[in-house]
Amino acid sequence: MIKIKYPDVLLDSLENGHMIIDDAFNVSYWNRWLCINTQVPKEEIIGKSLEEFFPEINYTVLQRKIKTALTIGTPTFYDANSSRRFIPIERNKVTTSSLKLMQQQVTISPYIVHENKVMISIYDISELFEAKLLIKKEMEKAHKLNEKLEADKEIIDKNIMVMKTSAHGVIKDISSFFCDFFEVTKRELLGKNVSIFKLSDMSDIIYRDLWETIKNKKLWNGELQYRTSKGQEKWFQARVVPILNIHGEIVEFSAVFHDITKEKLLAELYITDPLTKLYNRAHFDETINFIAKHQRKAEVDFILAIVDIDFFKRINDTYGHQVGDDALVCVSKNIKKSLRENDLVARWGGEEFVIMLKNVTLDEAQKIMEKVRSNIEQNIVCHNIKVTASFGLTKYRENEEPKETFKRVDDALYEAKEGGRNRIVVK
Amino acid sequence: MNLEFNEDQIDALREFMNVSIGAATASLASLLGAFGTMHIPKIEICNSHELAGKIESTIDLNSMYYVTKQLFTGKFGGECIFLVSEASATNLGRHLYITQNPSADEINDAVIELTNILTSTIVSRLTQELGTQVQFFVPYLHFTDAHSIVYEGDISEYSKIIIISTILDFQDQQINGNIYILTKDEAIESLQVLIDEKLEEIYG
Repeated sequence: MIKIKYPDVLLDSLENGHMIIDDAFNVSYWNRWLCINTQVPKEEIIGKSLEEFFPEINYTVLQRKIKTALTIGTPTFYDANSSRRFIPIERNKVTTSSLKLMQQQVTISPYIVHENKVMISIYDISELFEAKLLIKKEMEKAHKLNEKLEADKEIIDKNIMVMKTSAHGVIKDISSFFCDFFEVTKRELLGKNVSIFKLSDMSDIIYRDLWETIKNKKLWNGELQYRTSKGQEKWFQARVVPILNIHGEIVEFSAVFHDITKEKLLAELYITDPLTKLYNRAHFDETINFIAKHQRKAEVDFILAIVDIDFFKRINDTYGHQVGDDALVCVSKNIKKSLRENDLVARWGGEEFVIMLKNVTLDEAQKIMEKVRSNIEQNIVCHNIKVTASFGLTKYRENEEPKETFKRVDDALYEAKEGGRNRIVVK
Repeated sequence: MNLEFNEDQIDALREFMNVSIGAATASLASLLGAFGTMHIPKIEICNSHELAGKIESTIDLNSMYYVTKQLFTGKFGGECIFLVSEASATNLGRHLYITQNPSADEINDAVIELTNILTSTIVSRLTQELGTQVQFFVPYLHFTDAHSIVYEGDISEYSKIIIISTILDFQDQQINGNIYILTKDEAIESLQVLIDEKLEEIYG
């Protein structure tokens, strides 16, 4: 090992403060770093007590630490995170202001033990400390954000129906609100396939459309119907979103449901005749005007029929309005049960009903209406009272205004009435 | 790598630790004016993921703790952890700073000072007995709950850890704390070699 010829030069070149003091705090060495940073020249301090220059130091603690270092023979330390600096030194850094005074790490090492001398080394750890403060600040921010997210998550959990599934439809998470609504527990649903929610009467077309859309990585928006275990019919607005990973592969699906049962009931009420439960005139008008306006091939092929109960005024006058209402309900049921699912029937007003028979010829329509007429004639309304009805039929012609179709069908009905009632006339 | 200690090695290590702890108790009495006792050290070798559980099993899980960690390096290197409860740390601050209401800085510094004396004395004396030397690093202190003393993720890269633990008790000042000397993998092997060399030296 070489002998260091100029230890002063070496210690002066260090970017740390080094002083040598004894247990009475007399300074015997003071390096260049300390001269510059404390503005106390070595010529002034050497041979004097540190207390004269830095009275703010807690000398009881310093003396104990010096004694410890000298007794144990290993360094002792001050707390590097302390807000109390060993020697307060102003920082000149202007770009940040979090630390006005230099943060110091102070180590007291035994130097010449039999002379009770120690070396006090001061390291500037301000940059490190600032970084630590910054991390702490960011951690606090992240913590607050996390708390807010947790609170938001709780709000969502308690108030919104949310479901998460794997790419294969296995339920991974579900909100409490969803469970409460369906009266199930999370445990019952987690790990099960979402197909358990496939509604028995839900249209296969809707189900297929949903899966095809989301499997093609697109969002699906639509209405779903569900029948509860208690037999209640519920409607949901659903929004199903595929979640993709960075490779664009589906990793899970998230779905948000909104109960629209009340809205659905209101909408139904708006278009339904309260007595017969058939559609009302407004809905039929809206439908036929829509078809006439758009002229879609699949929709314009229909037969229009009008049904009018014969001598209805006489029934009302003879048996009273209750029997009249019973007759209306009886006829509407007969019409409804004789038609297909996609045919449209509405109460047109008074004792008149209007029917849209889709994708049939006039002959076929006439046969269907004949069946309806016969059923009405044979059915007893109440107390052995029977009614009959007259029918007018016409085919909608492409591009014609609905009022023209209605004119023809009205004429046909008029002829049926004139011809003796309880019959069908085609125009 | 065989990290299991044989009976002779364990006996020797326990004996060296008894001497070291005796020295630490004497240092504390002379330097801090506090006369305390330290329990007979417990020596355990465990897998790294068991460390948190081992520490938690020896402390009150409902307290907050001042945790000081100090590294030492050399042929036998490792980490010393000193745990002191909030109440004990406040009593220590009162004792060392001679004040009824020590500030947070004073409590922190007092805990660091006590740790430094304990660690330096115990480890220096132990390594002296083993005929080697160590270098100490600045102790790092944090205040935390009982479950955050050890982050299991941070130590998962180690396979084995040796825990030498003892309890420090100053009845007059109502200060007590737990000390753990931890060392891992290669350092355990070095410790075995050092103990064997010492046993060879003593018994020939």
